[in-house]
Amino acid sequence: MRGLLISCSRTLIRPFSSSTRNLANRVAEKQKLFQENNDLPVHLKGGSQDNLLYRLTMAICLGGTSYSLFCLGWASFPHKK
Amino acid sequence: MTHQTHAYHMVNPSPWPLTGAMSALLLTSGMIMWFHFHSILLLFMGLSTMLLTMYQWWRDIVREGTYQGHHTPVVQKGLRYGMILFITSEVFFFLGFFWAFYHSSLSPALELGGCWPPVGIYPLNPLEVPLLNTAILLASGVSITWAHHSLMEGSRKQMIQALTTTIALGLYFTILQATEYYEAPFTISDGIYGSTFFVATGFHGLHVIIGSLFLIVCLIRQLFYHFTSTHHFGFEAAAWYWHFVDVVWLFLYVSIYWWGS
Repeated sequence: MRGLLISCSRTLIRPFSSSTRNLANRVAEKQKLFQENNDLPVHLKGGSQDNLLYRLTMAICLGGTSYSLFCLGWASFPHKK
Repeated sequence: MTHQTHAYHMVNPSPWPLTGAMSALLLTSGMIMWFHFHSILLLFMGLSTMLLTMYQWWRDIVREGTYQGHHTPVVQKGLRYGMILFITSEVFFFLGFFWAFYHSSLSPALELGGCWPPVGIYPLNPLEVPLLNTAILLASGVSITWAHHSLMEGSRKQMIQALTTTIALGLYFTILQATEYYEAPFTISDGIYGSTFFVATGFHGLHVIIGSLFLIVCLIRQLFYHFTSTHHFGFEAAAWYWHFVDVVWLFLYVSIYWWGS
Protein backbone atom coordinates (compact mmCIF):
# COMPACT_ATOMS: atom_id res chain seq x y z
CA MET A 1 0.00 0.00 0.00
CA ARG A 2 2.74 2.43 0.97
CA GLY A 3 4.73 1.44 -2.12
CA LEU A 4 1.68 2.13 -4.27
CA LEU A 5 1.26 5.53 -2.64
CA ILE A 6 4.92 6.41 -3.17
CA SER A 7 4.91 5.35 -6.83
CA CYS A 8 1.68 7.32 -7.41
CA SER A 9 3.16 10.35 -5.67
CA ARG A 10 5.97 10.47 -8.26
CA THR A 11 3.43 11.27 -10.96
CA LEU A 12 1.93 13.96 -8.72
CA ILE A 13 5.23 15.61 -7.67
CA ARG A 14 5.96 17.18 -11.08
CA PRO A 15 2.92 19.42 -11.44
CA PHE A 16 3.29 20.50 -7.80
CA SER A 17 7.01 21.21 -7.55
CA SER A 18 6.92 24.46 -9.54
CA SER A 19 3.88 25.88 -7.74
CA THR A 20 5.23 25.17 -4.27
CA ARG A 21 8.82 26.21 -4.97
CA ASN A 22 7.95 29.86 -5.58
CA LEU A 23 6.46 30.62 -2.17
CA ALA A 24 8.99 31.89 0.34
CA ASN A 25 8.50 31.68 4.09
CA ARG A 26 7.30 35.14 5.09
CA VAL A 27 6.04 34.24 8.57
CA ALA A 28 8.88 36.07 10.34
CA GLU A 29 7.92 39.36 8.66
CA LYS A 30 4.30 38.89 9.72
CA GLN A 31 5.40 38.09 13.25
CA LYS A 32 7.37 41.36 13.35
CA LEU A 33 4.38 43.34 12.04
CA PHE A 34 1.91 41.86 14.51
CA GLN A 35 4.22 42.12 17.50
CA GLU A 36 4.99 45.80 16.97
CA ASN A 37 4.46 47.86 20.09
CA ASN A 38 1.74 50.16 18.72
CA ASP A 39 -1.20 49.31 21.03
CA LEU A 40 -3.36 48.40 18.02
CA PRO A 41 -5.90 45.61 18.55
CA VAL A 42 -5.31 42.51 16.44
CA HIS A 43 -8.23 43.21 14.11
CA LEU A 44 -6.65 46.51 13.00
CA LYS A 45 -2.97 45.64 13.35
CA GLY A 46 -2.46 44.55 9.75
CA GLY A 47 -2.73 48.03 8.26
CA SER A 48 -5.16 50.30 6.46
CA GLN A 49 -6.94 47.42 4.72
CA ASP A 50 -8.03 46.16 8.13
CA ASN A 51 -9.64 49.50 8.89
CA LEU A 52 -11.44 49.56 5.56
CA LEU A 53 -12.82 46.06 5.96
CA TYR A 54 -13.88 46.73 9.56
CA ARG A 55 -15.68 49.95 8.60
CA LEU A 56 -17.40 48.22 5.68
CA THR A 57 -18.56 45.34 7.89
CA MET A 58 -19.82 47.62 10.66
CA ALA A 59 -21.51 49.96 8.17
CA ILE A 60 -23.52 47.13 6.56
CA CYS A 61 -24.34 45.73 10.03
CA LEU A 62 -25.59 49.04 11.42
CA GLY A 63 -27.35 50.02 8.20
CA GLY A 64 -28.93 46.62 7.95
CA THR A 65 -30.06 46.63 11.61
CA SER A 66 -31.73 50.02 11.11
CA TYR A 67 -33.33 48.78 7.89
CA SER A 68 -34.60 45.63 9.60
CA LEU A 69 -36.28 47.78 12.27
CA PHE A 70 -37.81 49.91 9.52
CA CYS A 71 -39.08 46.74 7.80
CA LEU A 72 -40.56 45.57 11.10
CA GLY A 73 -42.45 48.83 11.38
CA TRP A 74 -43.61 48.60 7.75
CA ALA A 75 -44.71 44.96 8.01
CA SER A 76 -46.68 45.66 11.21
CA PHE A 77 -49.32 47.63 9.35
CA PRO A 78 -51.75 46.63 6.62
CA HIS A 79 -51.04 47.95 3.12
CA LYS A 80 -53.56 48.29 0.29
CA LYS A 81 -52.65 45.94 -2.55
CA MET B 1 6.39 45.92 33.90
CA THR B 2 3.13 45.49 32.03
CA HIS B 3 3.63 42.08 30.41
CA GLN B 4 1.60 39.08 31.54
CA THR B 5 3.12 36.50 33.89
CA HIS B 6 0.80 33.63 32.94
CA ALA B 7 0.41 31.42 29.85
CA TYR B 8 -3.21 32.22 29.08
CA HIS B 9 -4.55 34.35 26.23
CA MET B 10 -6.23 37.63 27.18
CA VAL B 11 -7.77 38.59 23.84
CA ASN B 12 -7.92 42.15 22.52
CA PRO B 13 -11.42 43.68 22.47
CA SER B 14 -13.00 42.59 19.19
CA PRO B 15 -16.01 43.79 17.19
CA TRP B 16 -16.70 40.41 15.57
CA PRO B 17 -19.03 38.90 18.20
CA LEU B 18 -21.21 42.00 17.81
CA THR B 19 -21.15 41.99 14.00
CA GLY B 20 -21.84 38.25 14.12
CA ALA B 21 -24.91 38.78 16.28
CA MET B 22 -26.11 41.60 14.02
CA SER B 23 -25.60 39.43 10.95
CA ALA B 24 -27.78 36.75 12.61
CA LEU B 25 -30.52 39.38 12.97
CA LEU B 26 -30.15 40.38 9.33
CA LEU B 27 -30.22 36.74 8.19
CA THR B 28 -33.38 35.91 10.10
CA SER B 29 -35.27 39.12 9.34
CA GLY B 30 -33.94 38.85 5.79
CA MET B 31 -35.52 35.42 5.41
CA ILE B 32 -38.83 36.80 6.64
CA MET B 33 -38.68 39.65 4.11
CA TRP B 34 -37.84 37.15 1.36
CA PHE B 35 -40.50 34.58 2.20
CA HIS B 36 -43.33 37.02 2.87
CA PHE B 37 -42.54 40.16 0.89
CA HIS B 38 -40.25 38.96 -1.94
CA SER B 39 -37.42 41.31 -0.95
CA ILE B 40 -33.85 39.99 -0.83
CA LEU B 41 -31.93 43.10 0.30
CA LEU B 42 -31.87 42.30 4.04
CA LEU B 43 -30.94 38.67 3.37
CA PHE B 44 -28.11 39.77 1.10
CA MET B 45 -26.85 42.14 3.82
CA GLY B 46 -27.06 39.27 6.33
CA LEU B 47 -25.10 36.88 4.13
CA SER B 48 -22.38 39.44 3.39
CA THR B 49 -21.95 40.50 7.03
CA MET B 50 -21.87 36.83 8.08
CA LEU B 51 -19.10 36.06 5.59
CA LEU B 52 -17.19 39.24 6.50
CA THR B 53 -17.42 38.41 10.22
CA MET B 54 -16.28 34.81 9.70
CA TYR B 55 -13.36 35.86 7.51
CA GLN B 56 -12.11 38.57 9.89
CA TRP B 57 -12.67 36.61 13.11
CA TRP B 58 -10.79 33.55 11.87
CA ARG B 59 -8.12 35.76 10.28
CA ASP B 60 -7.57 37.33 13.73
CA ILE B 61 -7.24 33.89 15.34
CA VAL B 62 -4.53 32.99 12.80
CA ARG B 63 -2.79 36.29 13.61
CA GLU B 64 -3.02 35.67 17.37
CA GLY B 65 -1.68 32.11 17.08
CA THR B 66 0.83 32.13 14.25
CA TYR B 67 2.06 35.71 14.32
CA GLN B 68 1.71 36.72 17.98
CA GLY B 69 2.45 33.39 19.66
CA HIS B 70 -0.57 33.40 21.97
CA HIS B 71 -1.38 29.69 21.42
CA THR B 72 0.68 28.25 24.24
CA PRO B 73 0.14 24.57 25.19
CA VAL B 74 -2.53 25.42 27.76
CA VAL B 75 -4.34 27.69 25.27
CA GLN B 76 -4.12 24.94 22.64
CA LYS B 77 -5.68 22.54 25.15
CA GLY B 78 -8.63 24.92 25.45
CA LEU B 79 -8.94 25.09 21.66
CA ARG B 80 -8.96 21.28 21.54
CA TYR B 81 -11.74 21.10 24.14
CA GLY B 82 -13.65 23.70 22.14
CA MET B 83 -13.43 21.77 18.88
CA ILE B 84 -14.38 18.49 20.58
CA LEU B 85 -17.41 20.11 22.22
CA PHE B 86 -18.46 21.69 18.93
CA ILE B 87 -18.23 18.39 17.05
CA THR B 88 -20.18 16.71 19.88
CA SER B 89 -22.95 19.28 19.45
CA GLU B 90 -23.01 18.49 15.72
CA VAL B 91 -23.31 14.78 16.53
CA PHE B 92 -26.44 15.56 18.54
CA PHE B 93 -27.73 17.66 15.64
CA PHE B 94 -27.52 14.69 13.29
CA LEU B 95 -28.85 12.32 15.95
CA GLY B 96 -32.15 14.20 15.77
CA PHE B 97 -32.51 13.56 12.06
CA PHE B 98 -31.60 9.90 12.46
CA TRP B 99 -34.24 9.69 15.22
CA ALA B 100 -36.81 11.13 12.83
CA PHE B 101 -35.81 8.63 10.14
CA TYR B 102 -36.01 5.60 12.42
CA HIS B 103 -39.24 6.82 14.02
CA SER B 104 -40.98 6.86 10.63
CA SER B 105 -39.26 3.86 9.03
CA LEU B 106 -39.46 1.34 11.88
CA SER B 107 -43.26 1.55 12.11
CA PRO B 108 -44.41 2.87 8.73
CA ALA B 109 -47.79 4.58 8.77
CA LEU B 110 -50.87 3.13 7.11
CA GLU B 111 -50.89 6.08 4.68
CA LEU B 112 -47.49 4.94 3.38
CA GLY B 113 -48.81 1.45 2.73
CA GLY B 114 -47.49 0.09 6.01
CA CYS B 115 -44.09 -0.57 4.41
CA TRP B 116 -40.69 1.08 4.02
CA PRO B 117 -39.81 2.35 1.48
CA PRO B 118 -43.37 3.67 1.17
CA VAL B 119 -45.57 2.64 -1.75
CA GLY B 120 -44.61 4.58 -4.86
CA ILE B 121 -41.09 5.43 -3.69
CA TYR B 122 -38.26 3.89 -5.72
CA PRO B 123 -35.11 4.39 -3.65
CA LEU B 124 -31.64 4.86 -5.15
CA ASN B 125 -29.62 1.70 -5.63
CA PRO B 126 -27.19 1.62 -2.70
CA LEU B 127 -24.62 -0.30 -4.75
CA GLU B 128 -24.30 2.40 -7.39
CA VAL B 129 -23.25 6.05 -6.77
CA PRO B 130 -23.85 5.88 -2.98
CA LEU B 131 -21.31 3.05 -2.70
CA LEU B 132 -18.81 5.03 -4.78
CA ASN B 133 -19.39 7.99 -2.46
CA THR B 134 -18.65 5.75 0.52
CA ALA B 135 -15.37 4.67 -1.07
CA ILE B 136 -14.50 8.29 -1.86
CA LEU B 137 -14.97 9.47 1.72
CA LEU B 138 -13.13 6.48 3.18
CA ALA B 139 -10.24 7.15 0.79
CA SER B 140 -10.24 10.81 1.82
CA GLY B 141 -9.91 9.66 5.43
CA VAL B 142 -6.78 7.75 4.43
CA SER B 143 -5.32 10.68 2.47
CA ILE B 144 -5.88 13.15 5.30
CA THR B 145 -4.07 10.78 7.68
CA TRP B 146 -1.25 10.63 5.12
CA ALA B 147 -1.21 14.44 5.10
CA HIS B 148 -1.01 14.57 8.90
CA HIS B 149 1.88 12.12 9.08
CA SER B 150 3.72 13.98 6.31
CA LEU B 151 3.27 17.20 8.27
CA MET B 152 4.58 15.64 11.48
CA GLU B 153 7.58 14.22 9.60
CA GLY B 154 8.35 17.57 8.01
CA SER B 155 7.66 16.45 4.42
CA ARG B 156 6.23 19.68 3.04
CA LYS B 157 5.58 18.61 -0.56
CA GLN B 158 3.97 15.31 0.44
CA MET B 159 1.70 17.06 2.91
CA ILE B 160 0.55 19.45 0.20
CA GLN B 161 -0.10 16.58 -2.23
CA ALA B 162 -2.01 14.52 0.36
CA LEU B 163 -4.12 17.46 1.50
CA THR B 164 -4.90 18.40 -2.11
CA THR B 165 -5.94 14.77 -2.74
CA THR B 166 -8.27 14.94 0.28
CA ILE B 167 -9.84 18.17 -0.96
CA ALA B 168 -10.23 16.77 -4.49
CA LEU B 169 -11.99 13.68 -3.12
CA GLY B 170 -14.29 15.89 -1.05
CA LEU B 171 -15.19 17.97 -4.10
CA TYR B 172 -15.74 14.80 -6.15
CA PHE B 173 -18.17 13.56 -3.47
CA THR B 174 -20.05 16.87 -3.57
CA ILE B 175 -20.34 16.84 -7.37
CA LEU B 176 -21.55 13.22 -7.42
CA GLN B 177 -24.07 13.89 -4.67
CA ALA B 178 -25.35 16.94 -6.55
CA THR B 179 -25.92 14.86 -9.69
CA GLU B 180 -27.68 12.22 -7.57
CA TYR B 181 -29.98 14.92 -6.20
CA TYR B 182 -30.74 16.10 -9.72
CA GLU B 183 -31.41 12.59 -11.06
CA ALA B 184 -33.36 11.21 -8.06
CA PRO B 185 -36.86 9.95 -8.94
CA PHE B 186 -38.25 11.38 -5.68
CA THR B 187 -38.21 14.87 -4.17
CA ILE B 188 -38.19 16.40 -0.68
CA SER B 189 -41.97 16.83 -1.00
CA ASP B 190 -42.55 13.11 -1.48
CA GLY B 191 -43.85 12.35 1.97
CA ILE B 192 -41.82 11.44 5.00
CA TYR B 193 -39.37 9.42 2.88
CA GLY B 194 -38.44 12.47 0.85
CA SER B 195 -38.24 14.70 3.93
CA THR B 196 -35.99 12.39 5.95
CA PHE B 197 -33.80 11.55 2.95
CA PHE B 198 -33.13 15.07 1.74
CA VAL B 199 -32.89 16.80 5.13
CA ALA B 200 -30.44 14.23 6.54
CA THR B 201 -28.30 13.88 3.40
CA GLY B 202 -28.68 17.59 2.65
CA PHE B 203 -27.26 18.70 6.00
CA HIS B 204 -24.52 16.11 5.57
CA GLY B 205 -23.66 17.55 2.15
CA LEU B 206 -23.52 21.03 3.67
CA HIS B 207 -21.06 19.73 6.26
CA VAL B 208 -18.94 18.18 3.50
CA ILE B 209 -18.78 21.60 1.84
CA ILE B 210 -17.89 23.30 5.14
CA GLY B 211 -15.25 20.64 5.81
CA SER B 212 -13.80 21.06 2.33
CA LEU B 213 -13.56 24.84 2.86
CA PHE B 214 -11.80 24.27 6.20
CA LEU B 215 -9.32 21.94 4.45
CA ILE B 216 -8.74 24.51 1.67
CA VAL B 217 -7.91 27.13 4.32
CA CYS B 218 -5.46 24.64 5.84
CA LEU B 219 -3.89 24.07 2.41
CA ILE B 220 -3.40 27.82 1.95
CA ARG B 221 -1.90 28.11 5.44
CA GLN B 222 0.43 25.18 4.73
CA LEU B 223 1.54 26.85 1.48
CA PHE B 224 2.37 29.97 3.52
CA TYR B 225 4.41 27.99 6.06
CA HIS B 226 2.06 28.58 9.01
CA PHE B 227 2.22 24.98 10.27
CA THR B 228 5.22 23.43 12.00
CA SER B 229 5.76 19.71 12.50
CA THR B 230 4.84 20.01 16.18
CA HIS B 231 2.29 22.85 16.17
CA HIS B 232 -0.58 22.66 13.67
CA PHE B 233 -3.79 22.56 15.64
CA GLY B 234 -5.81 24.24 12.87
CA PHE B 235 -5.04 21.27 10.64
CA GLU B 236 -5.86 18.77 13.39
CA ALA B 237 -9.22 20.47 14.00
CA ALA B 238 -9.98 20.27 10.25
CA ALA B 239 -8.99 16.59 10.24
CA TRP B 240 -11.23 15.81 13.21
CA TYR B 241 -14.12 17.57 11.48
CA TRP B 242 -13.44 15.68 8.27
CA HIS B 243 -13.46 12.28 10.05
CA PHE B 244 -16.73 13.29 11.74
CA VAL B 245 -18.25 14.05 8.31
CA ASP B 246 -17.04 10.66 7.07
CA VAL B 247 -18.57 8.81 10.05
CA VAL B 248 -21.93 10.58 9.61
CA TRP B 249 -21.94 9.46 5.96
CA LEU B 250 -21.29 5.84 7.01
CA PHE B 251 -24.32 5.98 9.31
CA LEU B 252 -26.39 7.63 6.57
CA TYR B 253 -25.34 5.03 4.03
CA VAL B 254 -26.09 2.04 6.28
CA SER B 255 -29.38 3.43 7.66
CA ILE B 256 -31.03 5.37 4.84
CA TYR B 257 -29.45 4.07 1.65
CA TRP B 258 -28.94 0.43 2.53
CA TRP B 259 -31.33 -0.65 5.33
CA GLY B 260 -33.90 1.94 4.16
CA SER B 261 -34.14 0.47 0.69
